[in-house]
Amino acid sequence: MNTRRDFIYGLGSSIGSIAFSSMLARQASAYPGPGAQALHFPEAKAKHCIFLYMEGGPSHVDTFDPKPKLKELHMKEFTRSGEQQSAMSSGKRYYVQSPFDFIKAGESGADMCTLWENLKDCADDMCFYRGMQVDSVNHPTANYQANTGNQFGGDPGIGAWVNYGLGSENEDLPGFIVLPELAHPQGGAANWGNGYLPTNYQGTPLRPTGSPILDIQPPKGITPEHQRKNLDFLAKLNQRHASWHPEHEDLVARMKNYELAYRMQTEVPEAVNIDGETEKTKEMYGIGSEPTDEFGRRCLLARKMVEKGVRFVQLYASSWDSHDYIEKAHGSLIPRVDKPIAALLKDLKERGLLDETLVVWMGEFGRTPDNGVRGGGKAYGRDHNPEAMTVWMAGGGCNAGHTIGATDEIGAKAVDKVHHIRDFHITLLRMLGLDDNKLTCFHAGRFKQLSQFGGTVIDDLLA
Amino acid sequence: MKLPSLYLALFFPVILVGEEISEGEKLFALHVKPLFAEKCNACHGDEPDKLKGDFDMRTREAILRGGEYFADEVLIPGKGAESYLYLTTTRTEEDYEMPPKAADALTEQEQWYIRDWITEGAPWPDDERVEQIQEKYAEGVRVTTSKALSDDWQNRRYQPEDLWAYQPLVRPKVPKLDSTGSGSTSNPVVANPVAANPIDLFIGRKLQELDLAPAGEAEPRLLIRRATFDLLGLPPQPAEVNAFLAAWEQDKEKAWIDLIDRLLESPHYGEQWGRHWLDVVRYADSSGYANDYERPNTWRYRDYVIRSFNEDKPYDQFVREQIAGDEITKRKDAEALIATGFLRMGAWEHTGMSVAKVTRQLFLDDVTDSVGQVFLAHALQCAKCHDHKFDPVPTRDFYSMQAIFATTQFAEVETEWLPEENRNGMEQDKSFHLKRIEDNKDRMAMLKERQQFYEAKWFQKRGLSYQSIAEAKKAGLKGDELPEGRLFEKPEEFALGPISKKWSNRFSWEMDRYRPVAFTVYNGKTRKPRGNYGRIDMPKDPMKEGALEQTAILGGGDPFSPTDPVKPGVLSAVPGGLEYEIPETVGGRRTALANWISDPDNTLTARVMMNRVWQYHFGKAIAGNPNNFGATGKKPTHPELLDWLAAEFVEQGWSVKAMHRIIMQSQAYRRSPNHPYPGGVKEKDPQGISYAVFTPRRLAAEELRDSMLFVSGELNREAGGIPIRPDMNMEAALQPRMIMGTFAPSYVPNPRPQQRNRRTIYAHKTRGQRDPFLEVFNQPGPDLSCEFRDTSNVTPQVFTLLNSEESLDRAIAFAARVLEEREGKSDEEVVYRAFKLAYGRAPLEEEVAGAVAHWQAMIEVQEKASFEPRVYPTEITRRANDERTGEPFSFDERLRVYEEYVHDLQPHEVDARTRAFADLCLVLLNSNEFVYVY
Repeated sequence: MNTRRDFIYGLGSSIGSIAFSSMLARQASAYPGPGAQALHFPEAKAKHCIFLYMEGGPSHVDTFDPKPKLKELHMKEFTRSGEQQSAMSSGKRYYVQSPFDFIKAGESGADMCTLWENLKDCADDMCFYRGMQVDSVNHPTANYQANTGNQFGGDPGIGAWVNYGLGSENEDLPGFIVLPELAHPQGGAANWGNGYLPTNYQGTPLRPTGSPILDIQPPKGITPEHQRKNLDFLAKLNQRHASWHPEHEDLVARMKNYELAYRMQTEVPEAVNIDGETEKTKEMYGIGSEPTDEFGRRCLLARKMVEKGVRFVQLYASSWDSHDYIEKAHGSLIPRVDKPIAALLKDLKERGLLDETLVVWMGEFGRTPDNGVRGGGKAYGRDHNPEAMTVWMAGGGCNAGHTIGATDEIGAKAVDKVHHIRDFHITLLRMLGLDDNKLTCFHAGRFKQLSQFGGTVIDDLLA
Repeated sequence: MKLPSLYLALFFPVILVGEEISEGEKLFALHVKPLFAEKCNACHGDEPDKLKGDFDMRTREAILRGGEYFADEVLIPGKGAESYLYLTTTRTEEDYEMPPKAADALTEQEQWYIRDWITEGAPWPDDERVEQIQEKYAEGVRVTTSKALSDDWQNRRYQPEDLWAYQPLVRPKVPKLDSTGSGSTSNPVVANPVAANPIDLFIGRKLQELDLAPAGEAEPRLLIRRATFDLLGLPPQPAEVNAFLAAWEQDKEKAWIDLIDRLLESPHYGEQWGRHWLDVVRYADSSGYANDYERPNTWRYRDYVIRSFNEDKPYDQFVREQIAGDEITKRKDAEALIATGFLRMGAWEHTGMSVAKVTRQLFLDDVTDSVGQVFLAHALQCAKCHDHKFDPVPTRDFYSMQAIFATTQFAEVETEWLPEENRNGMEQDKSFHLKRIEDNKDRMAMLKERQQFYEAKWFQKRGLSYQSIAEAKKAGLKGDELPEGRLFEKPEEFALGPISKKWSNRFSWEMDRYRPVAFTVYNGKTRKPRGNYGRIDMPKDPMKEGALEQTAILGGGDPFSPTDPVKPGVLSAVPGGLEYEIPETVGGRRTALANWISDPDNTLTARVMMNRVWQYHFGKAIAGNPNNFGATGKKPTHPELLDWLAAEFVEQGWSVKAMHRIIMQSQAYRRSPNHPYPGGVKEKDPQGISYAVFTPRRLAAEELRDSMLFVSGELNREAGGIPIRPDMNMEAALQPRMIMGTFAPSYVPNPRPQQRNRRTIYAHKTRGQRDPFLEVFNQPGPDLSCEFRDTSNVTPQVFTLLNSEESLDRAIAFAARVLEEREGKSDEEVVYRAFKLAYGRAPLEEEVAGAVAHWQAMIEVQEKASFEPRVYPTEITRRANDERTGEPFSFDERLRVYEEYVHDLQPHEVDARTRAFADLCLVLLNSNEFVYVY
């Protein structure tokens, strides 16, 4: 039998006639999750996490990890081979310099390419990490590893784990909301699945166009009054039936779900509506102008959701897989997210939410400093690189104003403060007050956890 | 197989020479040393150069020396309660909880062992003496297995109750019960115990223990609905209900047996029970991961499974065919080759970016684990990196099992069509598919034109008149005189190339759907895989190319870290397993495995299958984790019943249908869902394991869709054949979906209602694009083996069932059907018919009156409502980001199916009276009575 903990996934007991707006209001008391034994670090600041997922693998050497050495090596040929190499990385290769200039941003002097025109103002709130490595060189497996800890899919998403551990701040909203692009990423919805955790921990994607949740509106031509009449008749049938099976509790829960659903049909579209925001705010996020409108809307929605007490919001920005034409591709991708992300950080800060909201920016892997010859001509792009990448955090008690770890002089491999992604996951949980070793669920014969096998906290990332 | 030897090395006392054994030594040998090995040494000794906290626990001296923390307070001999070795295990020292994982926490008893051992002076007898002490005093039983990674593991002991599944299968004696009452009523636990079904005597004994009387027999109208859903996954027809009720009046036992026989003869039986099997083996029509290519021929395996259930193929044969069909059959017949598709059911792909060893290992791990879970209820994956934490499965056994598959290779092999395979609709489907191919060719031609245009433009800019690069090359131009890379200017031009190339590749592979190809395996050397973008052919000489794999234990499960080589073998803890020989020849390994699994003496196989069968009948398994019979799986609630069923199963020639008959004839199966004293049941059987009352269940996703089509009269009951494509929520169907480097083509339904309105088991199952209707009603994802489905109760289910076009279409069709069948009849008669169809029962008078009133009221509403014809897009414009340019682009995709799409009956095509009646029908389809089976 379910509880009333989630507005999307399962409603058991009555929520009476509370208006939805008040349902959305932040509630003081927390409803602990079953993994509450994992809540172990009371000093942790982060209560929410906004996870900006740059799908495709953004290039660290063209964004936050400048490599002047590549200028010297540009277009120099070399060969690479080895048993562990995929077809992609074997054979003749060329070094490729970054087409972008870099600046030292903020008082902390963080490295950023000049395309980050807005984000550069937030440099002192950000903590850059250059030591991370992952296992997979392929998108879907790397996506699964980044999002679930397990390369091969089927495990719970990070957001599912976080809710499992922290419980809900607002039991009328799903604790794990996903704001995907219209196109789902490689690997699909399994990137935000509940895995072996109960269904209510599944990420709820709010679709960027069309109905935010499938079939949330009745078919055209059917008015709410029309539907109300049908629901009243349904209630009569169900009541009679329930009287014949008084011990069967599911029947009542299912009846209540119909009533909640009826209210949600009008309330949810309102909840995801950003029209009520000021023009200034919208402008700050780049809403209403290109190329920022689309991602800006989702960043603003993420802030709204966090305000309502949603634990974990994951945003996807796709197509960072720049095998060719890094200048063109990254050159157009960065401006699409730069202004919205900067606005998100500033907005959270102004509202006093940045301290309790951990913002994470990452992709599934970094990119190589070199490229093969593609498509007849030389294409100045980069391939996948699981051994070096840059991720950054902001807020939530991260070590803001610092750059941690380093890659080698061409950005091929992390060499300082090197950690497997599992340690990053553990650190992320730690910042939310959760102990990965205690946040476990017994499944298929063993206790499973986000990090898969345990690991260590990357202390340098903590303030 | 030989009879199992005495495998539980029960302790035999050994006379110890030398000094008396102290309490401390005893604690050390029996408890502390094994605890250190299991919980501590991984970080504090196993890898001496990687000691955590610089703390070594391999010797007493090392522990006394301490590590980075607590120094000499770690172990203070004589002072257990003050020593940090003990204190850290109590988890009261913040940040020093040991072991760090909460899941590994020591029990209080275990903590005390350590404390008391220290208090006794922390003696540390040598290995020989430890062994002697263990021999003399240890509790629990040892299990002889092949060879563990560590001696401590090898010597560890198990609680006998955790080894239940390794006990030889002996047919238990059926209990004798009298007919005296139980509990607060005089109801007997078993009616007529002398003639009773043995199942009821086992259950009756448990009821007696619980002092609980069972509910009486369910009403016959519930029984026919229960049995029909159970065996067919569909509701009974009203006429069938009437006939059954009449027969029941005459002779209820005969009526019941006849009903079961009739249902078991129905071709729909295999569809329902095949579906259960497909959940366990993770059936899908696509390969998952980056490309998620269609597997154009797995549907033949799906039909093989359905046929096998319909034919009541003996289960031992069913096992053998799926594991080793290709080896067993002499004449390579299609059926056997199709069956071994089982081995390839997991998600798998090898792309240009994959590492050969990694993808090969992905298969090997997957197949080892899935054979373990599916047939043996052992999650073998747990033993991949270390000896199994809880069960007597050493890592060696994982790799011995894996070695059986070391010569197993993938192939898609042309066979004959089987006469029983349904090839209807193939031509029509193909003609549509060819149109897609044509459209894609047009797109490629257009791109080629654009490229030429830009090439000419490039030369023109430089004052040259060449029309193309080719022409310029011919004229001798080279190097810088030629353009570099692609010359496109617009994002869509960059994006369309990869899209059309990928689609062309997908579409041509999908043509295999219409060819008699078996998705199967062969034995031979492991070839270097090519990017898996098309059919994998069988080599002429399977021993020519590649290397013969030598399986080794992989350090940490890493394919690049082989350690000890292993020979093929089976689970050594299972009686007979240690001695069982698997040949090391290239072929025949899987046959040997299949023979071992399907041997009646295998203590797992029959129990595993009977546990599953029982679970699908009753909604709960006897042993609560059908994929895990190990120490961490739920123990059987009725172990003797499970053994009896398993023994009977073997005796009945592994006939699943025979077991359905036995189970369904029990009183337990025929029990009422309502108990006269429900409070008593809750109190005496809080876990709900007594079978005192029948537990209702919600329809599974497929049953729900099928039943809606069934009552609406739209269900095409045709069996088998290439996957169908039902209508899917349009937004989900047209949702762009990333695949490697580009976007997948849109999902489109079959154009004709009779093609798409077929049973859901035939629906195309794409790993990366699930049907939201089915997903929301808990159809499991095809990535993990599903031992039992969830039945969550979540709000999106309401949206789906109440608002979706699919639901509305069913309601309209349902209404139109009933109005046509009862044309000219009174409203009451029309309503009566609808209830009968939906619920399998006659409505009460007040229900009829209420329904008629609602219908009338809705006519008024519907007269004012207006409905537009639904628009089916014959072309869509899709917007996405191109990864080459990073810029948004859009492109058009023709949806040719919608050019010839015949839609289901729609609101605007019927009058207000019909629509109003459809409102009533929609309510019936949403009602609890329709959605639950009692």
